[in-house]
Amino acid sequence: MGERKATVAAEVGLHARPAATFVQTAMTAPMEISVAKLGGGDPVNGKSILQIMALDVRQGETIVIKAEGEGSDEILEQLASIATTP
Amino acid sequence: MTTVLAPVEGVAVGLAAVPDPVFSAGMVGPGTAIDPVRGPLTAVAPIAGKIMKLHPHAYVIVGDDGKGVLVHLGIDTVQLKGKGFELLAAEGDRVGAGQPVVAWDPAAIETGGRSPVCPVVALDAVAGAVTGVALGTVHAGDELFHWA
Repeated sequence: MGERKATVAAEVGLHARPAATFVQTAMTAPMEISVAKLGGGDPVNGKSILQIMALDVRQGETIVIKAEGEGSDEILEQLASIATTP
Repeated sequence: MTTVLAPVEGVAVGLAAVPDPVFSAGMVGPGTAIDPVRGPLTAVAPIAGKIMKLHPHAYVIVGDDGKGVLVHLGIDTVQLKGKGFELLAAEGDRVGAGQPVVAWDPAAIETGGRSPVCPVVALDAVAGAVTGVALGTVHAGDELFHWA
């Protein structure tokens, strides 16, 4: 199972534009993408804007993004990059 | 089938008219947007359900079937940090469709240099799932679109 940790840099957290961009990118992946807050909580579906909004990640909080299978490294890199973009 | 109600009074203009590509390109989801009447308004719940997220400038109601509808009060209004918005309900509350959620003043938003237009979005919906989208004048509580 591949995973990346990413600290959310956007002032609004993982909401609005960052959330929409994150989910749109996750949707391009063939495999399941899970996202959880570091240190607690159940993972949510990274392809669901509703679940990402519900996760309510604030600026400065770290998320753990998981994916497995062919191409997972690339998609994890892209998603981590979106999360860490201010 | 979920019937989504207009959260505010105004003119339904479509998402393409929203001056923010996140909404106008449908990145958040399909739906429409309302250019609200200028004056003190009460934004209401577009569907019955639980208030999953309640920010002063935006809220998400999730129905019993798991469908979530986002109402965003104005564009870039997160920057106001709640100023000019009064919460009339609390996160986690169960609300009926048409029940008041936030009191705000679109005229004040506009005076502050921001667009008061309100996207109303079906979250996680595919584009074709939203039909019967109202266009033109709507009152709060009027049918805005259907979500299959």
